[in-house]
Amino acid sequence: MADKNIAKYSGHQHFRHRLVLSFLSGKPVLIDGIRSEDKNPGLRDYEVNVLRLLEKITNGTVIEIGYTGTSILLRPGVISGGNVTHDCPLSRSIGYFLEPVIMLAPFAKKPLHLTIRGITTDDRDLSVDTLRTVTLPHLEPFGISDGLELKIKKRGAAPLGGGEVHFLCPVVKQVKTLNFVDPGRIKRIRGIAHAVRVSPQISNRMIDTSRSILNRFIPDLYLISDVYKGEDSGKSPGYALSLVAESTTGALHCSEAVSVPGGVPEDVAIAASRSLLARIKRGGCVDRQHQILVLLMMVLGSEDIGRCRMGEPTERTVQFLRDVRDFFGTSFNIRPAEPSNPDCDEQIFSCLGTGYVNANRTLG
Amino acid sequence: MDDRPHKAHRAAQSGGKAVKKDKGKEKQKGNNEKAFAPKSGRKAERQGRRNAERDQTRLHVPLVNRTPDEFPPPIIVAVVGPSGVGKSTLVKSLVRRYTKQTLNEIKGPVTVVSGKKRRLTFIECNNDLNSMIDIGKVADLVLLMIDGSFGFEMEQFEFLNILQSHGFPKVIGVLTHLDLIRKQATLRATKKTLKKRFWTEIYQGAKLFYLSGVLNGRYPDNEIQNLSRFISVMKFRPLVFRNTHPYMLVDRFEDLTPREEIRTSKGSCDRTVTVYGYLCGTNLRNGMKIHIPGVNDLSVKSISKLGDPCPLPNTESEKRRKLSEKKKLLVHAPMSDVGGVIYDKDAVYVNVPGNFTKGNDGAAHGEGEEMVIRLQDAEDTLDQAVARSQIRLFGSSSKELRVAGPSTLAEDEEEDEDDILDDDDEDEEGADEDDDVSELGDEEDESEDDEDEADDMDNDDRLPSSSASLGGGRTIKRQRQRGTPSASSLGQAGVDFADSDSDLGGDDDDDDGGRWARDMDGEDNADIPSDDDDAQSEDEQSMPRWKANLASKAASAFDSHVGRKRRKNWVSLIYSSPLTPTQIVSGADSARDGDDDDASDDELFKIKRPATLDSDEQWDMSKDAPDDVKSDRWEDEEFLDSFRRLFITGGSSSGQQLEDGDESAAEGDFEDLEAADGDVEAGGADEMDAGSGDAATALAAKKEALKRKFDEQYDDPETSKVDFYDEKKEEMAQQLQLNKAELEGVDEETRALVEGYRPGSYVRIELESVPCELVENFDPTYPIIVGGLLPSEERFGLVQVRIKRHRWFGKPLKTNDPLVISMGWRRFQTVPIYSLDDHSIRMRMLKYTPEHMHCYATFYGPVSVPNTGFCAFNNISDATKGFRITATGVVLDIDRSTSIVKKIKLTGVPMKVFKNTAFVKDMFNSALEVAKFEGANIRTVSGIRGQVKKALAKPDGAFRATFEDKVLMSDIIFLRAWYSIQPRKFYNPVTSLLLSDKGSWSGMRLTGQVRRDEGLKTPLNSNSAYRKVERPGRRFNPLKIPKKLQAALPYSSKPKLMKAQHRQTYAQKRAVILEPEEKKAVALLQQIRALRKDQVARRKDKQEERRSAHRKKVAKEEEKRMDKKKEERKEYMRAAGLKTKRAAEREEGRTSKRRKTQS
Repeated sequence: MADKNIAKYSGHQHFRHRLVLSFLSGKPVLIDGIRSEDKNPGLRDYEVNVLRLLEKITNGTVIEIGYTGTSILLRPGVISGGNVTHDCPLSRSIGYFLEPVIMLAPFAKKPLHLTIRGITTDDRDLSVDTLRTVTLPHLEPFGISDGLELKIKKRGAAPLGGGEVHFLCPVVKQVKTLNFVDPGRIKRIRGIAHAVRVSPQISNRMIDTSRSILNRFIPDLYLISDVYKGEDSGKSPGYALSLVAESTTGALHCSEAVSVPGGVPEDVAIAASRSLLARIKRGGCVDRQHQILVLLMMVLGSEDIGRCRMGEPTERTVQFLRDVRDFFGTSFNIRPAEPSNPDCDEQIFSCLGTGYVNANRTLG
Repeated sequence: MDDRPHKAHRAAQSGGKAVKKDKGKEKQKGNNEKAFAPKSGRKAERQGRRNAERDQTRLHVPLVNRTPDEFPPPIIVAVVGPSGVGKSTLVKSLVRRYTKQTLNEIKGPVTVVSGKKRRLTFIECNNDLNSMIDIGKVADLVLLMIDGSFGFEMEQFEFLNILQSHGFPKVIGVLTHLDLIRKQATLRATKKTLKKRFWTEIYQGAKLFYLSGVLNGRYPDNEIQNLSRFISVMKFRPLVFRNTHPYMLVDRFEDLTPREEIRTSKGSCDRTVTVYGYLCGTNLRNGMKIHIPGVNDLSVKSISKLGDPCPLPNTESEKRRKLSEKKKLLVHAPMSDVGGVIYDKDAVYVNVPGNFTKGNDGAAHGEGEEMVIRLQDAEDTLDQAVARSQIRLFGSSSKELRVAGPSTLAEDEEEDEDDILDDDDEDEEGADEDDDVSELGDEEDESEDDEDEADDMDNDDRLPSSSASLGGGRTIKRQRQRGTPSASSLGQAGVDFADSDSDLGGDDDDDDGGRWARDMDGEDNADIPSDDDDAQSEDEQSMPRWKANLASKAASAFDSHVGRKRRKNWVSLIYSSPLTPTQIVSGADSARDGDDDDASDDELFKIKRPATLDSDEQWDMSKDAPDDVKSDRWEDEEFLDSFRRLFITGGSSSGQQLEDGDESAAEGDFEDLEAADGDVEAGGADEMDAGSGDAATALAAKKEALKRKFDEQYDDPETSKVDFYDEKKEEMAQQLQLNKAELEGVDEETRALVEGYRPGSYVRIELESVPCELVENFDPTYPIIVGGLLPSEERFGLVQVRIKRHRWFGKPLKTNDPLVISMGWRRFQTVPIYSLDDHSIRMRMLKYTPEHMHCYATFYGPVSVPNTGFCAFNNISDATKGFRITATGVVLDIDRSTSIVKKIKLTGVPMKVFKNTAFVKDMFNSALEVAKFEGANIRTVSGIRGQVKKALAKPDGAFRATFEDKVLMSDIIFLRAWYSIQPRKFYNPVTSLLLSDKGSWSGMRLTGQVRRDEGLKTPLNSNSAYRKVERPGRRFNPLKIPKKLQAALPYSSKPKLMKAQHRQTYAQKRAVILEPEEKKAVALLQQIRALRKDQVARRKDKQEERRSAHRKKVAKEEEKRMDKKKEERKEYMRAAGLKTKRAAEREEGRTSKRRKTQS
């Protein structure tokens, strides 16, 4: 009986969201063929580390990793939450580890207070600034807002890290159904430029450049320079700019650019600003990188039709939609947002929520 | 003359009197407000308060009702009561009332149409506890039958308690057998007492019906009519559990296992079974696990929606106020003998009363009879009929289909069938298909072919269901021979491609309900890109050539499409194409910009290459690839202005933007002033461009909105303020509206994919690997329920519940004794551990449940969402005496581990005692153990407290401890510790439906019970036996105080020990001689005493005499009374005997088991 119920996948891609779906649905997941053709086969250190982190915030989880490390069987336990401290390896930034935790934490038994250390910003994963200003607000329409907080205690740039972040997440009984089809129009742009262990002038240069690009679109533009000094600035030098655009209906779009060795801050600012404009141009009510998060919460909503307007689905989204069907049996109805307008790539995603109730929550 | 009855009074119909009367009546009409106006301020205040209170009691927590309004499932009406109370009679009467048909034997659910928007499913619940539990979980309305001549019985109270813990449905009491009470006064008194008892159980004012005698095997028509009126107007409030789970009361049951398999395994193989019924609760989705109480968790093989066997009246009869007589005849009861047809598990029986011949056509026939007659009419066999048939593939085809060789027969037949189905279902769809045929070939590409494949497979899956729907709810078993792809050579593949007319679901997004003709099923076809024209032209060509220029041809075909802009059908791309996400997304890119065609084309044809090869580059990243920020277009003003409309400064592009707040627009305008002037101009220009025609209407709309807002705020600020309750209700209504609107117009399959099967639909669920006993021991009188499980409920874990022993259950419950728990859909036996919260420090195990108090219990079992109610039983067999519900409670928490502890005391004895230090041994076994307990508090029996310090080298496990005082060598030292315990992982589902005797399920027994049943003796541990305790008497040495000290002590503290006097005293030494007077006096006293003694003795004798006489008299009277009593008893017993005899006759040999209530 149990074997029939296992979800089976192969390949190392989409590792984290499969684990998350397994924890939420309670179905065991078997992933094999993890880099089996590679010169260096098996799980990477960061993947093992993310498993370790998930084991810390759950109770009763059984993880069996095959002898060669190319297969893994996860029997999910109960998401417990509580006070957890975790150290990330230097191969990935904190965003990689925090993303699955953000998806799981609202459904834990106790509110989560996670202290996580490592690299705060790099060019592969969402930086902690984006997580704080974009990811967490994406949870707000689902009724997860009171006590949801991300505190950046220390920053740590890429090679050596040394940053520290506190993530606090409340527990919900059931998430609200989303009905978000009006993208509105961009009303303000905010940004954070930070520079650690380099000249503080650099962040001002980024701000000036970015302003020169964005000011023509909107006057409500506040870019701040976030300075961390001494102990709090980590072990390596680096700087980055993250931008957020908010629409009249609360839709968020974000972009980010990180310093490269030998580069100039102006290039970083240009990259961030232009990519923000590109994202805005793509449209939708939800940022591209957060499609998965929003879709997951829609699946977990009450047994009503939830709707959300998004830009074109990304690769991750496509695979996620397929995986969701395996785990929850939920299929989305995807139709063009403006059928009469051939230039519009935006889609309306609608699904019937599964009526997921946080069974882990303690009563009384 | 006098005994002639008086003429009844007739009120005047016309004339002055009638007018006068009417006038009076008119006056009374309406509410005279003045009459009820409060006279004093205090009274007004009180009245206001009372009204406010009544308003609040009216409010309930707003709950969403998941039952659809337009086609709701039938209301499940359960008839519950002990045997012999008249349940079957009531069901028969009610069915007769609704359908004008008399059913001889009622088995299983009976569905009837009771009104224009209401159907009822009647189900009789037998007297088995398992059935009562299951019925209690699904019934919407319970008719609780009570024997008026007997009173309440234990089962009724048990049933009410079950209802209480699983969500209370509506309950109507029905008192029967009232005709057995002869005296009017007794009848009245009985009714009153029973009503009072009923009210305390349900609520004050609960409805109770009285049914008097039985006429023609039914209850009197007018009484049944009253009852049915009540049923038809009853309103239901959604119950939380049922509003979150789908469920179905099975009204038909069939075994689909191949006969041969059953025969070879002698009936012991696992079966494939279909169950039918109306869905209730929430939507049942594909892939949902189900649980059948009494069997176990089962996996669903397929679900299909069938035609409604008992449909609600449709719009054509909607105009009438009442239900038409024709509709009243509908009854759906497959397990009973409606119309002389009984659908059994594997056969259909036609019941023919008397004898009949085909000849007499004039007489009306029942359904079954007609069926048999029609069978006789058949003149030729099926294949002859097929051969002669003139079935055309499409409505427009001129040639009919021919039955050719056996190899093509199967395929053709299938196609035919598809087509017939289409035609039958919707004519429009057939037309669609024709269009598709005409469009053949010019709009097709790779991805769509793949869709076709997938959809074809879907079609295959669907087929049995759609054929079943044709048959009006009955499956037509078909043996389909499928042409294997290998057999039909690849040359034929071309033909197949030509046949495939693909609907361009991708082209037109609104039309995704098209059907496709069958394509070849071969897996290898999935990645062969085919174009119909090519395939057709190369029909006869050899395979290698066909394959050689495949890619280029496909590419050229693709190129021709690139010019046109087309939109992808994401649903089919994601859910039914085998493409990888990369291909799906990049395909989008190639379709959008024609520059990188070649690259994407190449990619399209490398499907077979394993994706893992280039894994080095593939990072599992959250950030997507950076947008092209370097390109020149970012310098291009025109490009930058092209998406200006997405900002609030960009001016209004459409009317809808006007709605979202004028303040934002105002804000934008205001801030525009601060910005560069050029921006303002550009924005202004845009606004101007937006069209002067639209501007006027937009302005008007804006004005209108403003005016409305002002009116609302100015006229009545109260009306715009909605209270929380109304707000919530409004929200729910809106969401329901949205749910309805979102899937309107979507075809049946997509709907099933997105939202599953709606409650109210009649479905057929195919179940795999069902234990054969369910089929072998099937009994339609025991209800089968299919309950859907939420994803979280499939798991197992440790469930913590709050539990309270039922006060009618005599004994306390013991930890680790098995308990049968009914929770969610399931009934299972498990082993709980009871515990109590000990000052919020620890969870402490309890050996027994406390009296009159809640406690916690933790057990291993299937997870239920917190707040689910449950009830528990020690023994669910019918043979149990007394009240069977042992406890009730609610789920609190789900976890994988527990922190329940029990107290353990480790004891040791001093080995050596110093001043305040002692060496203690025999408490631990090794130094390591001691190390674990360093610093732990210890205590002696006499109450001296101390602490573990450090292990000693020798002997093992000994340690040094310090105390607050010197301990004695004879003291026992103990350490209080807590030992954590885990519940045993025991879960045993109650599989009562699998038994032949369904009431006799017995789970794990207690050890004592097993010993008793097996006749075994309890093994006696010799250490546990009680022996006489022989303690050596403790000798204490006398207290010696040194002389010096004694001397120094004050007198009060000095020991005052006096030796006993061993010499005789002066008086003891002397003899006494009396004087003569003294002697006399002594003698006199003696005499007086003797006299007195004698007197007393005589008086006693006399009294005894009197008493014995009295006793005799009393005994005589007693004897007389006893005789009389005996006579009376004899009389009573004779009457009672007669009554039971009558009852037995009435029940016709049914065994009646009655257990009298204790209370």
